[in-house]
Amino acid sequence: MKKTIPQICRVINNRRLDTKGSYYELTLELGHKTKKIFPGHFVHIKTGAGLDPFFRRAFSIAGVDSENRISIIYKIVGKGTALLGQLQKDDTVDIIGPLGNFFSVPDKKQTVVIAAGGVGLPPLLYFAEYLLSKKHPADKILFFYGGRTKDDLLKRKEIKKLGIPFYPCTDDGSFGFHGLITEAIEANLSKLECDKTSIYGCGPEPMLAALQRLAMDHSLNGEISLEAPMPCGVGVCLGCIKPRLDKPNSYVRVCYEGPVFKIGEVKL
Amino acid sequence: MKPNLEIEIAGVRFKNPVTVASGTFGYAEEFEHLIDLDALGGIVTKSITRKERPGHPPPRTHETSAGMLNAIGLANVGIERFIDEKIPFLKKLKTVIIVNVAGSSLDEYVEVCRMLEKAGGFDMIELNVSCPNVDRGGMEFGTDPDAMIKVIAAVRDVTTRPVIAKLSPNVTSIATIAKAAQQGGAAAVSLINTLVGMAVDIETRKPCLTNGTGGLSGPAIKPVAIAMVHKVYKEINIPIIGIGGISDWRDAVEFHLVGALGLQVGTANFIQPDATMHIIKGLQTYLSGHNIESINDLVGKVRM
Repeated sequence: MKKTIPQICRVINNRRLDTKGSYYELTLELGHKTKKIFPGHFVHIKTGAGLDPFFRRAFSIAGVDSENRISIIYKIVGKGTALLGQLQKDDTVDIIGPLGNFFSVPDKKQTVVIAAGGVGLPPLLYFAEYLLSKKHPADKILFFYGGRTKDDLLKRKEIKKLGIPFYPCTDDGSFGFHGLITEAIEANLSKLECDKTSIYGCGPEPMLAALQRLAMDHSLNGEISLEAPMPCGVGVCLGCIKPRLDKPNSYVRVCYEGPVFKIGEVKL
Repeated sequence: MKPNLEIEIAGVRFKNPVTVASGTFGYAEEFEHLIDLDALGGIVTKSITRKERPGHPPPRTHETSAGMLNAIGLANVGIERFIDEKIPFLKKLKTVIIVNVAGSSLDEYVEVCRMLEKAGGFDMIELNVSCPNVDRGGMEFGTDPDAMIKVIAAVRDVTTRPVIAKLSPNVTSIATIAKAAQQGGAAAVSLINTLVGMAVDIETRKPCLTNGTGGLSGPAIKPVAIAMVHKVYKEINIPIIGIGGISDWRDAVEFHLVGALGLQVGTANFIQPDATMHIIKGLQTYLSGHNIESINDLVGKVRM
């Protein structure tokens, strides 16, 4: 059996994605072969060599290239991500992964509604690319992407290049639809047949809660990818739990049963 | 010559002293794809109670300086599911299996141990009489010498397996409790469990853990653990299993020197899931480098 042990990866690139310099894309060369990586998988990264920060930080994989190089996208929000921001080409990073489960691939007849909120973009951009590589019809992948402002919408060119319907939206109206991503989706729902539509979401928890409500109200199935502070990332510390919606008084581990959950599985 | 890492506790042979602490290794199956489980000296399971427990609501872990706070609240599958679903996997492993048992009453400890004895498939019992995170989680047995004697004696009546008492550092005199464990018939003591701690969010002014307080673990508590193992070693005749912030082989050597025969690696499993493998290799190298034949020759050899 292939062991998913920590491995030291070489930094290929660590580039800014916006002019303000708070979003970065880090590309790493995996030190050894891992199990196959799919959209939704995450890696657990030791952001510094010492004891501060103490825990690793979890990041969804944003893509894998043919040379087995993975990328993650992050925003500098605290100590761990600030350390990542300092990484230079040829530096090394200690990672564990791929970990967790991944998005399930819908039937080609299904219309796929992708809902990416803020830094929830990476696994869904990877998922859209993956579906296209699996010959899912491009016009059946609707890509909704919401952020606070235009500056928070990353990789717009790359998304446009995919040739799929793209629905950007911003809270302040500075780009695309003016309003919440769930409002943008709702405005387009009448065009879709609910039993032939699946929703896939990742983003801040309030957005996912609204998305899950919307999906359940319209009897849409689908999946959401959750985020939580993860001490271990491998299912044993029981720290990154969320209450189950379908089974009262019990929890799921985001890192182990997830991070991808079916609509209606987790209470948000 | 390859140094000998084997140790023996109450007739149970460990291929090396490196085991994993309860609550940091799940039921071991979670680590199957991460490390070679058979290379471990032993595995201590998550605490098992009579009934399944979901544990406390989140947040129940919190990052601190060189460590963490947790108040999981003894979340576990309960003894019935443990026997049906977890023991079949554990008993296939070629390592010592230690089942950690928790309870909120004397009867619960006894009942869980009786059911385990009937099921078999493990080597030793570790009694969690020191969980700081539940109202009634055995802490009263771990802080009162008479209660300690009683619970160990009662459990010994229903099991043929050696019983280890896991001790709390949240007491006035850990040596007194350790002596009680020995008097009650414990085959060994393991120490230390976590130290009670607390953290507050300065914006919301609320505790960082839903439970309020939690147990502090990790490298931050190692000096406390070293001092307590050293103290207990002078007071009892049964073996000590050292726990508390062990992250690399140097920590392991330090614990042996103050009197630990066995070791439990805990929080380090979260950060470096293969920490145990590195510790085993490091101990071998240390012994070879110092011409020490057996790990047993290192135990208690601190020079005061």
